[in-house]
Amino acid sequence: MNSKDYEKKLLIYTYIFCVVCFGNLSFLGWPKESIDTTAAIMGLIVCGLIAYGHFIIRKFFPDGDKYIQIFACILTVIGIVMLYRIDSTSALKQVIWFTIGIVSFILIVVILPDLKRFARYKYFYLICTIILMALGTLLGQEKHGSKNWIYLGGFGFQPSEFGKLFLVAYLASALKKYEHYKDLIEPAIVVMISLGFMVLQKDLGSALIFFGISVTMLYIATSKLKYVITCFVLFAAGSFVSFQLFNHLRVRVAIWKDVWAYANNEGYQVVQSMIAIASGGLFGTGLGQGHPEWVPVNSTDFIFASISEEMGGLMGFAIIIMYFLLFYRCMRAAVYAGDRFSALLAVGYSSMIATQVLVIVGGVINLIPLTGITLPLISYGGSSMITTFFALGVLQKISEEVIRRE
Amino acid sequence: MNDISQNIKKVLVVFLICFMGVMSYIAYFQVLKADEIVESPYNKRLQAKRNAILRGTIYDRNMKALTKSKKINTLNQERSYVAGEVFAHALGYINPKYGMTGIEKQYDSILIGSDTMDIGKFLNSITEKEDKVGYSLRTSLDYNIQMKAFEMLGNNKGSVVALNPQSGEILAMVSKPSFDPNNLEKNWQNINSNKDIPLYNRAILGLYPPGSTFKIVTAVSALENINGVTSRTFDDEGVLVFNQKETLKNFNGAVYGNIDLKKAFYKSSNVVFGTLGMELGNAALKETSEKFYFNKELENTDFTSKISRFPTLNKSEKGNMAQCGIGQGQVLASPLEMAMVVAAIANDGHMMKPYLVKDVLNEKGDSIKKTKTQELNQVTTAENAKLIKEYMALTVSEGTGGNAALNSVSVCGKTGTADTGKPNEAPHSWFVGFAPKENPQIAIAVIVENGGVGGGIAAEISREVIREALKK
Repeated sequence: MNSKDYEKKLLIYTYIFCVVCFGNLSFLGWPKESIDTTAAIMGLIVCGLIAYGHFIIRKFFPDGDKYIQIFACILTVIGIVMLYRIDSTSALKQVIWFTIGIVSFILIVVILPDLKRFARYKYFYLICTIILMALGTLLGQEKHGSKNWIYLGGFGFQPSEFGKLFLVAYLASALKKYEHYKDLIEPAIVVMISLGFMVLQKDLGSALIFFGISVTMLYIATSKLKYVITCFVLFAAGSFVSFQLFNHLRVRVAIWKDVWAYANNEGYQVVQSMIAIASGGLFGTGLGQGHPEWVPVNSTDFIFASISEEMGGLMGFAIIIMYFLLFYRCMRAAVYAGDRFSALLAVGYSSMIATQVLVIVGGVINLIPLTGITLPLISYGGSSMITTFFALGVLQKISEEVIRRE
Repeated sequence: MNDISQNIKKVLVVFLICFMGVMSYIAYFQVLKADEIVESPYNKRLQAKRNAILRGTIYDRNMKALTKSKKINTLNQERSYVAGEVFAHALGYINPKYGMTGIEKQYDSILIGSDTMDIGKFLNSITEKEDKVGYSLRTSLDYNIQMKAFEMLGNNKGSVVALNPQSGEILAMVSKPSFDPNNLEKNWQNINSNKDIPLYNRAILGLYPPGSTFKIVTAVSALENINGVTSRTFDDEGVLVFNQKETLKNFNGAVYGNIDLKKAFYKSSNVVFGTLGMELGNAALKETSEKFYFNKELENTDFTSKISRFPTLNKSEKGNMAQCGIGQGQVLASPLEMAMVVAAIANDGHMMKPYLVKDVLNEKGDSIKKTKTQELNQVTTAENAKLIKEYMALTVSEGTGGNAALNSVSVCGKTGTADTGKPNEAPHSWFVGFAPKENPQIAIAVIVENGGVGGGIAAEISREVIREALKK
């Protein structure tokens, strides 16, 4: 069997998965209530979107990676299904975000010229990074304990979500010409400033992700383990100082150490999340049979807990494996990338997605202290959806250059 | 560029390890920690699960509903008690904050329908359009008898227990003061701080000196252990002297002169029964009382009662033996126990096991499980029981229990005026009895705390409750 057949097979399974999930959703209330046609229609729309996106990319750009888009779509579908079960209006909005995401994915692949040319706008990226990071601190409003949301005319978004895209672009352009450790001073300062803003905004999840991205990119660019170790030492020192300075950090750590002692107050979210995951067991209660309404922030940060409860721990495993496969395909693009800038960009965006998954999944099962961030593609939210599809679009573009060059 | 590929591979491995780590932790979590976490009190799912089924109804013996259940939301249903405080102790209560008591607790798994689950019912539940309902209970309680008993006790502290002597069915179980199980949240503070302990079910948990009602047991023991006791003549001079310090007197200092056992019984002579207590000795009387389920636990009943007590004494404690003979000293009985004693006499010596729930009913009201009547013990021979019956009939017609007499039927009974052991406190008023004399339908035990003489208020309450029970 050649790879084209694999691709077709995977695509067929994806459609079947959509039909089964949305079919299940439309029969949830039956026979007490009538069959829910909205779910069925939504399923058809999602299938159409996947088919359309896939058709465009394969038809006009047959050389790119075949799986990135499919994996991303499967993960998004899982998210939409769960969101529909929790609250159908947010699922409807998510489908719109998904559409915008797919469209921007296609547009990036279609419109963007050769990525090498973007390497030179280093200072533009730098300025954008700093502005976006600072925005939350200066204008942000507190939501779920983090001050990282800003509102423009009733429309809210997270500037740090977009900030990470620019941070990766900046780091890629700054690190591509690495020769001497002096070249690392400027990027180091930028990263530290970004981390500082995140700690001030109490957005520890993003801080962790920035650190993960930066260290990964640094190692790829320099091949020097000692820099990585230095980073970890600095990070540890920074964490210690922050721990002494900021109460919210100490609270997070205290909850992590003994979550049951805080079950009624600060640890309520994590406890309810753990109970939900435990109640689901390996096979889950089945869609509509569990109680995601008792998991706080169930549509964004804790969506993994709701999915685990209703679809089971095995679905949880499947999601994690799917993310790793996506990560693998993205890193693969980096391996074959034509230039250092593209390669570093690819590594940056891949590790961005991967660390985000590790941080939030680890958080909801209390493996690491909880830091409220979204599960890319699955969680509800426009900022997260668009940035992730943007990053994936760039990765697709890079993967395509690989083949073209060969 | 080669460098980059090598590094990327290493980074891939590092991330792979991280992903595997997270998955391993989830596996560990699901396999080893999940069960414990699910049982956590913070898990609302457990409550939701039991709430998915509407709690079954508790009925009286004539299928009058005593409870109502209504669903409020996924987590709560409201249980209301039709007769409020009248049935509070017999039925118990269920409350999300204060837990469960009584029948509600004992039959919880049946009321929420989780006890048995057959496949047909499961298949039905999938297509069913209405809320699932748990099993219902038909109790042996009679709404009218219970109401009457509750009303007659008035504002007194005390208890009434009525049994069907032939089956052991509990017809009424009243304890006063009572509380309203419908508004527990609002009244909890008052209920709990009340020094008379309204939550306490005196009918099965209250232990009182039985006083002269215990003479039934003493008389049975005498019939069994002392030859020719019925033809003996006792000389009652109004006082029984054991030694320099201790004496035993008749109530109000009465002197009955030369009397036989029969008269001693219906006149309730302390001197004669004190003498019998000493003559029988501790061992014999204890043995008889244990046949009547003193010092014995009632097993597998649908309520939890306290064990009534008969003491073990040394040979030298003559005074205490005499006290035991008249139901004082360290003899302690619950109202239920005394009702069982008198029911056993009514039922020709056969003591039946008391029970509250007759049937478990399905949604359609068909009985799916019946409680079988069960004999606990043969307390004495039918002849002896018959003799005691005669004595008890005389007690009502000629003796101390005149207040319990009814025109239409012959009531049998025994009064008791029990010393509380505390000075300056009125004695407890007891009456135990049954009716009609032939083919008894109801056996009753009434105690009114500090209610004075047994022939007074307790006998009056008994009369009215018996009248209500025998009303056609």
